[in-house]
Amino acid sequence: MFEHVLSTMIFLPILVGLVLLLLPASQGAARGTGLVASGIILILGIRLYFGFSGAGGMEFSEIRDLLPSLGISYNLGVDGISLFVLLTGAVLYPLVFLVMTNQSKGCYANLLITQGAMAGAICAGDLVLFYIFWELMLLPIFFMIGIYGGPKRLPATIKIMLYTVAGSLLMLAAIIYLGVVYHTQFGEWSFSAAKLAGLELHGGAAVLAFTGFMLAFAIKIPLFPLHTWLPDAYTEAPPATTFVLSAIMAKIGVYAVIRYVIPTFEAEFARYALLLACSGVIGMIYCGIAAIGQKDIKRLLAFSSASHMGILALGVFCMNIQALTGTIFQIVAHATSTGVLFLFAGMLEERMQTRNIEELGGIARQAPIFAFFFAVALLASVGLPGTSGFIGEFLIILGAVKFHTAIGVLAGTTLIIGVCYMLWMFQRVFFEKTNDRTAGFKDLTGIEALAFLPVILLILIMGIYPQPFIAKIEPAAKEQIAFVRPAAQVANYPVLEKGHVPEQK
Amino acid sequence: MILDYLVLSIVLFCLGILGVISRRNVFTVFMSIELMLNAANLAFIALSRLHESMDGQVLAMLVMAVAAAEAALALAVVILLHKHTGKLDTNVFSLLKG
Amino acid sequence: MEQSAAYLGLIPLLPLAGATIIGLLHLSSCQTCKLSERTYGILACIAPILTFLFAIKVFLDLHGLPVEARQISYQAFTWFKVGELDIAMGFFADPLSSLMLLFVTFTASLIHIYSIGYMAGDQTFGKFFAYLNLFLGMMLILVLGNGPVVMFVGWEGVGLCSYLLISYYSEDRANVLAGNKAFIVNRIGDLGFVLGMAFLFWAIGGSGFDYISLKANAHLLSSTTISLVCLLLFLGATGKSAQIPLYVWLPDAMAGPTPVSALIHAATMVTAGVYMVARFSFLYSLVPTVGLIVAWTGILTALVSAIYGMYQDDIKKVLAYSTVSQLGYMFAGVGLAAYSAGIFHVFTHAFFKALLFLGAGSVIYALHHEQNIWKMGGLRTKLPITYWTMLIGALALAGCPPFSGFFSKDEILYLALATGNPGIWLIGVLVAGMTAYYTFRMIFLVFHGSPRDQGLFDHAHEAPTVMTVPLIILAVGALFAGVLNLPAIFGGGQVVSHWLAPSLAELHPEASHETEILAIGASVVAFFIGITIAYRKFGSGAEVPVFTGFASFAYHTFRINELYDLLLVRPYKAIGSAIEYFFEPQVTDGPVQLTTWFYRAAGTVFKLLQVGYVRIYAIYMVIGLSLMSLLLSQSLK
Repeated sequence: MFEHVLSTMIFLPILVGLVLLLLPASQGAARGTGLVASGIILILGIRLYFGFSGAGGMEFSEIRDLLPSLGISYNLGVDGISLFVLLTGAVLYPLVFLVMTNQSKGCYANLLITQGAMAGAICAGDLVLFYIFWELMLLPIFFMIGIYGGPKRLPATIKIMLYTVAGSLLMLAAIIYLGVVYHTQFGEWSFSAAKLAGLELHGGAAVLAFTGFMLAFAIKIPLFPLHTWLPDAYTEAPPATTFVLSAIMAKIGVYAVIRYVIPTFEAEFARYALLLACSGVIGMIYCGIAAIGQKDIKRLLAFSSASHMGILALGVFCMNIQALTGTIFQIVAHATSTGVLFLFAGMLEERMQTRNIEELGGIARQAPIFAFFFAVALLASVGLPGTSGFIGEFLIILGAVKFHTAIGVLAGTTLIIGVCYMLWMFQRVFFEKTNDRTAGFKDLTGIEALAFLPVILLILIMGIYPQPFIAKIEPAAKEQIAFVRPAAQVANYPVLEKGHVPEQK
Repeated sequence: MILDYLVLSIVLFCLGILGVISRRNVFTVFMSIELMLNAANLAFIALSRLHESMDGQVLAMLVMAVAAAEAALALAVVILLHKHTGKLDTNVFSLLKG
Repeated sequence: MEQSAAYLGLIPLLPLAGATIIGLLHLSSCQTCKLSERTYGILACIAPILTFLFAIKVFLDLHGLPVEARQISYQAFTWFKVGELDIAMGFFADPLSSLMLLFVTFTASLIHIYSIGYMAGDQTFGKFFAYLNLFLGMMLILVLGNGPVVMFVGWEGVGLCSYLLISYYSEDRANVLAGNKAFIVNRIGDLGFVLGMAFLFWAIGGSGFDYISLKANAHLLSSTTISLVCLLLFLGATGKSAQIPLYVWLPDAMAGPTPVSALIHAATMVTAGVYMVARFSFLYSLVPTVGLIVAWTGILTALVSAIYGMYQDDIKKVLAYSTVSQLGYMFAGVGLAAYSAGIFHVFTHAFFKALLFLGAGSVIYALHHEQNIWKMGGLRTKLPITYWTMLIGALALAGCPPFSGFFSKDEILYLALATGNPGIWLIGVLVAGMTAYYTFRMIFLVFHGSPRDQGLFDHAHEAPTVMTVPLIILAVGALFAGVLNLPAIFGGGQVVSHWLAPSLAELHPEASHETEILAIGASVVAFFIGITIAYRKFGSGAEVPVFTGFASFAYHTFRINELYDLLLVRPYKAIGSAIEYFFEPQVTDGPVQLTTWFYRAAGTVFKLLQVGYVRIYAIYMVIGLSLMSLLLSQSLK
């Protein structure tokens, strides 16, 4: 079974999810099945982590022809970058089934399908395969928001669908373009990412194809100004869906840029890196300031998440090893912290029947453990040293300063912007006096606390002793940097990594 | 020679179109459609004769079969419509109005 | 050569472990199964006292080494390593950090003990001590970190504890707002710190990013880079050490429990900025211009906050502004490259300011949380120990010879004159007089005259032993700490300065004896003038004043909070609201709205064609077919 570990991680949840959809299972049974399935995935994920050598290159590869006449293959594999994105999902998913007890059966089933599809999108080494999984992971999201969402779910669904479908179609066109170019240059069909990376792309068509890819991923990340679907979708979606969207799916956008765009479009990427970096920084500031104006706790967290995604994406566009490693590290760090925050917000909503910050208060006194866990996740989210958030943000800011001083300085303001809204929210929700509504709030039960504990510990461990993680990320990040280095030097970006000469007096 | 048949066919066809467009009685419309089908049959047979091949005649037979089947179905629909509304005026049936 | 010593890693670990254990005990306890306060108190005091013993060991170990080699370090593990960036979680002690270590652990131990008395009966007693232990751990990381990044861990960690402890009484919105303010203002400073680190790293950090490597490579930097880095780091210091323009959080921070004010907001955390500048003395000493900016910022802060201090009516606010003012002196010292003088003032200040705050805490405790000095009076007889110890603290703060504050403050003022900055010196002397005035205004109002509120006075009682003993110990320190650095003119050997010398890149200006005597004379005169005015006005009873004009302006701290609110907070919130109510729905949502608008418009147009009559559809068909046949016949030609 272990040689097909990636296939298992992809298709087990999809099959279980489909069966659940068809069978008339009860809500509890669906949750239990989901828990078991995601638990198996978690175990496989842990084995994967320890079986991963970290020497660079793809591991656990599975390659089979799918449509040889068009060069489409079933091609899976993980490297140091995808491993962590994959594991983030594997680690966080069981939590959803453990903690979110009030979702409907269809929601649990769709969650499972999304999990499998996301794993597929992460591991795919063939662009057509990637596209299939990419679409497959989006479909259940539409259903979950549209069927099980909040009162304004339909506009939110239409918005997210318009955006993501527009992006996906452009990406499909770009994928086909790449295949055709490969055919003209090498005389055979192939959509393998590794082979397409060797293409020589020139001219306006290449820029258009690059735009097609970047638009699809920028919408998913989301980069400013393509973020408007996010607050609505995150707010209206059921808590579990919001969790999946924010914690894992948004990261796949960043991951896909690193994995598919950088190797193939190195010249275009280097040329437009500054523009994209600006977009990331502006998004970070814009969404961070927007968060202060929110009264709905989920909407505030949505903007916070968008703000952090801006700086996360910035790390990719800086094209140096520190920033890129920081980004990949931050993918995991942000997934854990924001994921936990959204889950907690979901629990608050379930128990208090409100998301309005003004109607809450004094929860820290009622539920110290809940408040403590929330505080740890919050501190990680604002990048306090000792939590995972600091390492990632520090590396990204450091890299950004090298890439472009002004952008580095602006990126640094995330330190200030983040605490403003987070502390404001924490004050209104957890401090101050309890009211009639919050007086009945019960603390986490022992099982819930135990369920959250591993993630909370992970946040702390990744902050205190991140080197084992970084050691696995760095070689893969180096390979990606190697792709853009020549192009970036042409475009005059400072990406020097070795032989750095201290300035002379 | 052949042209005459074709011209007749076109004239019949146009008459059928005119009938469909201008008349409001369901039966008249239906008869106009039949006229158009028969115009097509005439063209088929004329051309079959010209090319000395049986294909056209086969097609004509096919069209007649379809027309018969269609007549049975359409008349049933018309009877139902009439039962429903008591009228045979096509302007009454404007459910597709946007 | 530096020596390795694993126990350095243990020093911050002990209080952190203490915090974890106490925190877990607190979290897992319920109303009925609570541990007794006594157990918590003892558990909490273990770590600070042990670290104090370790601090002594560090001092002795360093002392046993030859002067040039007084460094010990311990590298626990590689923290993170990416490309040329290689950050170790390492600890490092040299004379500078050992001095900091000694007084931090010393005052922390005393304040932990004091808190057992002060916090008695508190609902969340365990939580308080968990925070306090956590603070100590973070402070020790700050002091012992072997490079700027590790220092930053402690730097932010103490900020977090400060936030948690300011908003400790979290039911009251004002307290939490004060906590938020402290955290956010500190974060503004931290931005400077992070950017400073980033610039420094890209300049010379590639070959090692700890103090030793940085010091060795500092000569490779251009002076522009050094100035930039030093200014950015100083921005960090103004946040943490409450200097212009970021001092506004410290007075509000008095919302926390009084022992917290004593430990964090007077003795230890707020001096971290001074420590940082001294730590980076190898950079600051290369750019005297930046040093002057630091010095002037410091002395102006000292002046402004001394003015505020003269008009406050809350006993803790008076002390808070005096802290800001004294921190200003310290920055004046380190700015003028008189690092040891600045650090020495940090050292003595820790004793007398912790003493004053704990004394104030004892007064507040006695008066059931009344903090307004205009409701006190005549407490001398009721609280004798508090009175005498606070008097010593006040004399030290006011700079009365031979109390500790006199020597340390005088050293800074003398060096201001010796380095040719008479402006700084003059303001410094003025502030010295004002300090004497407001300190004794407070002492006279609280302890002398007749009681202003008889009800409060009657119920007042001296604090329990667990609180008075730390007061007495600190009073001894406030009395004699100055002797440690007695200048040559009084026959002393400047022991502290010599001890610190290997850690600091200090300049030693040459100045005549006359200058030194002038400096001392002026300080003493200023002290006497200040205390005389205070005695005249408040010595034997005074009525609650009505502030008008300048006094009212100063009472409201020059309306600086309102100004910041108007210039920064409100616009920020307004932009936030504008985004939510205008930009989001109107501007960035444009593509979506455009798409839906397009579909709607197209629908409206096509709707007109859908008349619903079969006949009309037939016409469309005919038109379509005709066009198609036409096209077909055209293409066949």
